[in-house]
Amino acid sequence: MASADPFDSALDLLRRLNPKHTTKHLQSLISLAPDLTEDLLSSLPLPLVQRIRPPLGSGAAAGAEGGGGATPSEKVRRMEVKANEAFDVYRELYYEGGVSSVYFWNLDDGFAGVVLLKKEAKPGSASEGSWDSIHVFEAIDRARMTQYNLTSTVILSLSTSSTGLGEMDLSGNMTRQIEQELPAESDEQQIANIGKLVEDMELKMRNLLQEVYFGKAKDVVGDLRSVGSLSEAGRDREAQRELIGSMRR
Amino acid sequence: MSALETIESFVEGAPPGELADVIADIKALTVADPGLVSKLGPAFEKYNEEQFATVRLPGSSQPIIVSSHSSLGNGRYYDVESSSSFEYDHATQKASGAQSYVLEGAQAELTKSTLKTLSPYVKEHFPNAAYGVYPTENDSKVAIIIVANKYSPNNFWNGRWRSLYIFDPSSGALEGSLKVDVHYYEDGNVRLLTSKPVSTSISSGTGAGIVKEIGNAEKKYQDELNKGFTSLSEGAFKALRRQLPVTRQKIEWDKVASYRVGQDIGGGSSRR
Repeated sequence: MASADPFDSALDLLRRLNPKHTTKHLQSLISLAPDLTEDLLSSLPLPLVQRIRPPLGSGAAAGAEGGGGATPSEKVRRMEVKANEAFDVYRELYYEGGVSSVYFWNLDDGFAGVVLLKKEAKPGSASEGSWDSIHVFEAIDRARMTQYNLTSTVILSLSTSSTGLGEMDLSGNMTRQIEQELPAESDEQQIANIGKLVEDMELKMRNLLQEVYFGKAKDVVGDLRSVGSLSEAGRDREAQRELIGSMRR
Repeated sequence: MSALETIESFVEGAPPGELADVIADIKALTVADPGLVSKLGPAFEKYNEEQFATVRLPGSSQPIIVSSHSSLGNGRYYDVESSSSFEYDHATQKASGAQSYVLEGAQAELTKSTLKTLSPYVKEHFPNAAYGVYPTENDSKVAIIIVANKYSPNNFWNGRWRSLYIFDPSSGALEGSLKVDVHYYEDGNVRLLTSKPVSTSISSGTGAGIVKEIGNAEKKYQDELNKGFTSLSEGAFKALRRQLPVTRQKIEWDKVASYRVGQDIGGGSSRR
């Protein structure tokens, strides 16, 4: 058997090991296979992307890795300022708290950026949680349209504890991608397009997270152990089948 | 952390039913040092004993548990219900060399009577589980183990329920822990990890009394766990991000700049 690609194996491990400690696992992987450092850091949608560039207003040119250059052009920088204002409104409307940051940079054929949203709920209380959204996008110039490639990751950690329950931790991350072409004739329209894409993606992902965290995970627990008696449930099903059968006759 | 400690921690963190996948990943990451994987024996042993790995003996349909409480040393384990012992390969998770094993000692009777009532209880509440009862701590106490697994790798999820109880006949104390581990990994990585200590006492000291108390504790726990899902969903999750703004409408992005200058963007929290 040909051995698997180490990079694919590293990513596979990261989707299997406890998502609460992804940063620690990543450090372990890098120490185990230093050759993979750059590939892993550039492909992972972790809050690590914050390393791309120092926060807005810090002035100094940043040592970003790869991409089309670290310091955005004046035009892209102006859009970045406006996008920060727009996503600040978005944050207030949807998160009613938390923090948001937007970073843009130039590409040869357009621009790219990352939208970060972060909120913590009831830290220190019996039931707590944190939400991190990381939206990385490219906006590529086409003839009349702009093509947007958006990769979004949400890291959602929830935990609760009590005497009767003990410790319960429900944590993880999910990633989704979308590509779309939209007209963008002005900088304002660019920001509106990115805003809509992010807003739609977050709505979709919030629904998905709700389904997986509180639907799927709960169902699996019910599949492992049945609160009610299995033989009674079996007898009930049998009785129901007979009833339906007799009504059909 | 040394390279060996690193890959040992990966083994320890393998989700239910995914040890073989984790080992394959480790092998691909350590091709430069193939000797490293061969040093994982102790990590595999620890993983299998802690996770209550199950194995089927040749010619038997009943899964049997591997745990420190059923260990005879030198890689051999025993099972009371089938009166057999076997050699277990921790790396491949396969059993061989089955022999007859007769349980003797001070706790043999209690072990067997507990097993007798445990069997119908497990069948009533676990669609797919292995269970075992073993004298432990130099034949002074009795260990009771239930492990239920459900693997669905084609649908990207796997789950495990573990119950471990230690009954002390001299005091009547029943101490234990309940643990649930669920992994979902379709375009993501989501993990449910729970742990609940159990501490109660059995006045009758009989096998039936022990199993009855286990049933009570597990029912109570599962009800609490279901309430936990609801409280996280209605509490922390809702508090993190709204599904829609208070206005119940998506944002009008072309007007977002005007939101800023004091138009009603819905909800008191935005007014300062």
